[in-house]
Order: sequence, then structure tokens, then C-alpha cells
Amino acid sequence: MTDGEFDFDPEELAMLRQLFRSEAHEALEAVTSRVLASGSVGPSAEALTEMMRATHTLKGAAGTVGLPAMVDLSHRLESVFAAFGRDPALWTVGTADVLVEVVDAMRSYLDVMDEPGADQAADELRKTIDQIARQDRRTGTLSVPLLEPADARAPTEPPTESPTDAGAPAEASDAGLLPEPTAWLRIEPERVDEVMSSAGELLFDRTRIERRVQSLRTLARDLARTRQALHDAIADDAAMPAPLRTAVMDAEGELAAQAAQLSQTTAALLDEIEALRRTIGELQRGLTRIRMESARSLMMHAARTLRALRRATGVQVELRTFGEATEFDKAVAEQLHDPITQLLRNAVAHGIEPAEDRVAHGKPGVATVTIRARQDGNSLVLEVGDDGRGVDTAALARRLVTTGRWTEARARVADDADVLDALLDTGLSTRGEADELAGRGVGIGLVRQTVAKLGGEVKVASVKGKGTTFTLRLPLSAALAQATLFKVDGQVYAVSTVHVAGTTQVDGHATTATVGDDVLPVVRLEQLLGHGAATDRRPALVLSFAGKSLVCTVDKILGPREIVVRPLGPLLAPLTLYAGATISGSGKIQLILDPAQLVRRAYPDAMMALIDPASAPMVLAGRALVVDDSRAIREAMTSMLGSEGWIVDVAEDGARALHMARQQRYDLVVTDLEMPELGGFDLIARLRRDPRLKATSIVVITSRASAEHRRRARDLGVRALVAKPITRRKLLEALAAR
Amino acid sequence: MAELRNVIIVTIGGVRHAIELRWVREVVSLGFVTVVPTAPAALGGVCNLHGAILPVLDVGALLGGAAGSPPRQGDGALVVEVDGLVCALRVDQVDHVASLYEAGGEVRDAAGRPLVLLDPTRLVRRALELVAAVAEHAT
Repeated sequence: MTDGEFDFDPEELAMLRQLFRSEAHEALEAVTSRVLASGSVGPSAEALTEMMRATHTLKGAAGTVGLPAMVDLSHRLESVFAAFGRDPALWTVGTADVLVEVVDAMRSYLDVMDEPGADQAADELRKTIDQIARQDRRTGTLSVPLLEPADARAPTEPPTESPTDAGAPAEASDAGLLPEPTAWLRIEPERVDEVMSSAGELLFDRTRIERRVQSLRTLARDLARTRQALHDAIADDAAMPAPLRTAVMDAEGELAAQAAQLSQTTAALLDEIEALRRTIGELQRGLTRIRMESARSLMMHAARTLRALRRATGVQVELRTFGEATEFDKAVAEQLHDPITQLLRNAVAHGIEPAEDRVAHGKPGVATVTIRARQDGNSLVLEVGDDGRGVDTAALARRLVTTGRWTEARARVADDADVLDALLDTGLSTRGEADELAGRGVGIGLVRQTVAKLGGEVKVASVKGKGTTFTLRLPLSAALAQATLFKVDGQVYAVSTVHVAGTTQVDGHATTATVGDDVLPVVRLEQLLGHGAATDRRPALVLSFAGKSLVCTVDKILGPREIVVRPLGPLLAPLTLYAGATISGSGKIQLILDPAQLVRRAYPDAMMALIDPASAPMVLAGRALVVDDSRAIREAMTSMLGSEGWIVDVAEDGARALHMARQQRYDLVVTDLEMPELGGFDLIARLRRDPRLKATSIVVITSRASAEHRRRARDLGVRALVAKPITRRKLLEALAAR
Repeated sequence: MAELRNVIIVTIGGVRHAIELRWVREVVSLGFVTVVPTAPAALGGVCNLHGAILPVLDVGALLGGAAGSPPRQGDGALVVEVDGLVCALRVDQVDHVASLYEAGGEVRDAAGRPLVLLDPTRLVRRALELVAAVAEHAT
């Protein structure tokens, strides 16, 4: 079966498959937790029914979106569960482990199914699934094809059903990891991020408006003062002729009334801004909650990782989890998978002593790794602890010295906490030899780096003979943003990538730069942020904000990064040049520049232009026509323009739009390019040919924002071309463009 | 009427100062200091303290004198908290903690030498004013 046989166009199909993927991940995750809960005993009849239902649903959905291999795999897995239903004795001690791996492999397959080699992987997976419930497999071994990059998961070996495995403890806490039976609304995280960043920008907008209103208030006060001066002047001037005096006094009276009104309006405006501030706050809190997920999936990840480690090393260890219901930012949760894996590997490789040593020291033979999640104010606290041998700080201090990391003197004054902290920085292990499982200890260093990147910190506590606990403290939510990083005068700065239109080179002393057809002002950041203007030819960023573009010279462009935006705090907030700061992987603070402020520096004369309607190129509200064949986009645009005061009509294709435009005058036409009947460019050309419609402002929204499209749009007198996905800010900027 | 004060004695710009312990959250060695261009000299930079952004202040400049050398990684600092605002005061050296009598705004150490008693509330207020003044100038 090929894609061509479906009712969907490729774009829609891709979307549907994406939807299927996330649905399938969830269904398979649910199967995994049932399997884990079944342990070595075997699933209950109810659990089996649930697992069969999940695989059956998966089969149906896979068929709808045209994924025959997935249909087949789901079908086979369903048959396996059916076989266990018929003969529970088929479930042996190693079954759960194999099933977990098979289901994991199916999930990996979901992610690679479009890539070459996926068919072969599916074939192998198929064979493995068929073996699971076979009588003769009880003594044999199985191998599950590995689809993930090898370093992304713990080393695994084919399951060997050794006696130690049979004696492995049933994981009581695993049983607690049951799926939550709730209906879910599926949203791509990017969409939420977009709204989140718009909400963030709203905050900047509010601050700007507030500043304007404050100056309006000053103006009202000045006006009142002028009126008073006028009043006093008339009173003092005895020589003024009576008719003139009456006229001036009347005017003065009116002025007084108007000044009072201005001051009242300004006060009311400030109240409105305050209300806006509260609403923005609520919006941000609401959005943050949308991005929250429970620690459950992280615990599931840990359970799987530990299971694999146990089988790979033979170390007897069980997992206990607490605080699964703790909620935190999805973006944070995803980033924590690797650190958790690393900490578990570390516990198994270094922390837990051999069973006989444990017993000799009066500990249970089976070790325990405990993961606790809890919320503490605005932080998420995650503790990963083992009840192993603990860190021998004296030995570690000696190793720090012998490896040249510390001087003898440093080691002498260091206390246990210092030594343990060094463990996090260097990841040095007390074991002399490198270890395949936990690496050369580098992993622990990475834990601190990852956590620092998220704006958090790691601490380690250890009691010799009792165990080691790593405590990760993280912000509850992370506002991730795409930023472009660059260097000026030795320091790294960031600017939101949304506002970066491109890069160029600028000659020394140049005050303008030609970019495409435009001559843009140059802001010399080495002068603004560093020690003075450089004279050499240097790299530069082309920034664009609210329809105005400028070129900023820098020392070096470092490229795009995903960053966590943090507020600067009350002391630095008045420095409006900065929109916030971020913390680099190595813990350095990097300042984020506010493009609005750079625009103000580049266009000092037009400083008020963005606000003052008389000089602003902004198209003020009127009647608008939105043309797009997607209903979702029509809806979205109607809402965005509507909230700006526009009266909005919609058309689903060019022909209809043309008809409407001839019946009704529109101040603005916002159109898509690809549409049935009459495409966007044809529509624009026809609108331009009609003398009555020649002056209409046209904005193009498209997923094809190539240079060729831009050129063609410009030739047709299009006001702006906005790349999909459309955000409110992008749209408003397009409307503000000259 | 002399009052007993629990203070930490530090050296800033060669001068010994005392600061009441109740303001001091932590004594730290600064991490990498990021310079904040356009900020007043009293704000030497910002630093990452446990994942939060910590402004580093120059006491000399806050008291109306010249700013000391720019803060650098490894410099000592007192982390103080005033009205929920957390910032660092850079110091050359931390001497010791002591309980000393204050009389008429003056504190003397055990040897009877006078010490400058710092008031973090005033310092922070001054820092806010200086930053606001720079911001005003920029707009």
C-alpha cells in the first residue's frame, strides 16, 4: 500500500501520522506498565484484556493512517496476549522483560518507520514477537532488535533465564505505575510554546504601553500647570481689554476641563493596564499548567532503565518510587531522562556492593534505588538514592590529588561536602579502572551540566556504608525559547531567533549596510556593549522588529540554541536593553537583548513612530478579508484580526475571495498562496488589475516563504509575506511594515 | 546606649567594614561574572548563584566613592537579602564574625579600632536609584 492510495493529501497524512504516533506511544506505554505490574507472576485476566484492547485499537488506527507494518506488529502482539489468556503457564519469569523490550522496540520503530532499514527492523521484531508465547522458548533465548542509537540506552543482553533472575524480587513499586484513565487532548508542544512565547511578549508590550501612559500622565500634569500659568497671567494683566479677557478666560476654562479629562483618562488607562497585567499573569499560569506532566513517565523510564541494567549486570536491585503525581514542565521532564539514566548507571556500577558484602554488613541482599519527586515552592526536587556502599570521600580526595585535579593543600582543607561536590564537577570515580557501564564517570559531570542548563542545581550526599543520594533541584517550568547566540567583546549574548532575519558582513566605519534591496542602519554592538567601535570588517546579524530592520555588528555569530529565558530580577529590570538572561551549560549568565531597544537606537527619529498613529505605517483596523482553504487558519486569523478591531470576512478560495472583493470594499486582504480554484498569486494579480482594488493592502501568509516567493510578492505590491505558522506578533509586524 | 550586634567583619577597598549577620544569607566565592553593559559602575556584573541571577554590587561606588576593580570569578562576596531582593556585595577579604557593641552608629572591633557599619537596606536602595537613573538616561 502506498501513500497515494489515501484520501489525505501528504500534509494531512503527515499530521495524522503524527497524531497516530503519539497515540501509539501512549497505548504502548500503557501496555508496558501492565507488563511491569505483572512481574514474574503473570498478568491478571483483566490486565490481559486491557493489553489486548490496547493492541487492538493500535491495529485499527495504524490501518487508517496506512502503516501496514504497524498493523501487523500490533496484530501479532495481540495474539501473544491472547495466547497467555488461553495458557497462563506460558508466562515465565523472563517474559515480562522480553515484552517490555519488544514494546520499547515497537515504540522506537514508530520513530524510525520512515527511515531506511525500518522494514528490516520490523521483520526482526515480528519474528521475536512470534517467539514470545511459544512453548519451546521457555529454555531458549531471544534477541530484540535495537533501533535506538546504541548510546541512548543501557547495554542489554539477550535474556538469560538464570536462577538469579528467578529469585529477583517482584517490584512492588512498579505495580503502582498504572496508566491514568483520563481522556487526553493532544497538542503539539510547539504550539503551546508558541502561545507561551506570545504571552511572554505580551508582558513586554504591556511594559512599553505603561511607559507611554506614564509620559501621558506627565503631559497632563504639564498641561494643568500651563493652564494655571495662563490663569495667573490674565489675573495679573490689568491692562487687558475686557472682550479679550472674556475670550481668553473662556478658552482657559475649556483647557481646564480638557486637562482634567486627560488626567482622568490616563488614570483609567493605568487601571486598565493593571487589569491587563493580572490577565497576562493568569494566562501564563494557565499555559504553564498545560505544559505540566506528572513525574510518572519519568519513573517509568527509570523502571525500564533499571530493569535493563539489572539484566545486563546481574546486580540485584529494586526500584522504589515516591511522588509520581508531582507535576512539572514537560520540557524539563524530557531533558531529565538522560541524567536519570546516568544516575541509575552510576548507582549500579559504583554504588551498590556485591550481594554477599551487603549481607555481611547486615543489609538486605537486594539493593534498593529510591526515586522521590516532590514540589518545593517553585522548584521540583528529584532525589535519586541508593543504599549502597556510599562514597569513600578520603579515597576520592586521594584520587583528586593523584589525578592532578587538586593540590595536596586543597585536599587537606577540604571537607566531605567539597569532595562530593568535586565528584559532580569531574565525575571522578573511586574505582581505579574505567567502567563500561557508567563510563569513566564522565556521566555524572553531564548530569550537573544538563541540570544547570535547565536552571537547576545538583547536590550529592553520601554516608559511607549507607548509600549515596543525588538531589536535583529544578525550576518547575522552563520557558524554552529559540535564540541566536553571538559574541561581543568576549561575552556571549542572545537574541530571540524570531527577530533574526539573516546574517551579513559589515565594513568598519560603515553606518549603513545594504541587505537585499534595502539600505539598513548599522548598530555597532561592540560600541554599545564593549569598548568601542571596531574598524575591521565584521559579521553582523540582520534583525527585524515591528517592520523595522537593522544590522548589528558582532565579534562572532555562534548560531541558534534553545535557551531557558529567566527574568533579570528587580535590580536589573529597568535596563530595558535586556529582555532577560539565560544560563549556559557551563553555568555562565548570558544576557538576552531586546530587539525593540535596538530598533529604537537604530531609528532615533522614528522612536515614536511605532506608537504614534499619525506617523506609523501601521494599517489601522478596518474591514479585512481572510482567504485560506484551511478552516483552522481562517478561524485563527479571524480571531487575531478581530481582537485588533478588524471586521473580518472569510473566503475558502481565491475565486470566492475575488467575488467578495468586488461586492465589498476591503482595507486589507490576507491570503494563502496554495488554494483550489484560484491560487493566491492569481488572486492578487486580479485584485491589482481592478482599479477600485488597487490600493487594498495585501498580506500573504504561506508555508512557502522562499526568496522567489518573496520577490514575486514584492512585484505584486504585497505589503508583507508572513511564513506559517502565523503568530499574532508576526501578523501585527506585517501590518506595521511599510 | 550601646547595643550588641552580631556582625561579620570584611575588608572592602582596604577598609574594614562590619555588616550585621541578619542580612547575610551566604558568604560565597563568585562564579563566572557576566558584565552588564550600560549598567552603572556600582553594578559590577551578574553571576549564577544556584541557578538564579545574582547582581554583584560594588560597595565603594554605592557609597559615592570610586568603584573597585571589576568583580571576577573567585572573588569573595556576601550574599545579602533585603526585602526579597538578593544581591552580592563584593569583598576583598572576610575576616571573622563577632559580637560587637554599637554606639551612635559606630562599631569598634575588639582592639577598639572603628569599623564602618554597612546598612544593606541603604545600599540596595542606592543601587536601585543608580540603575533607574541610567535607565532614565537611555530613554
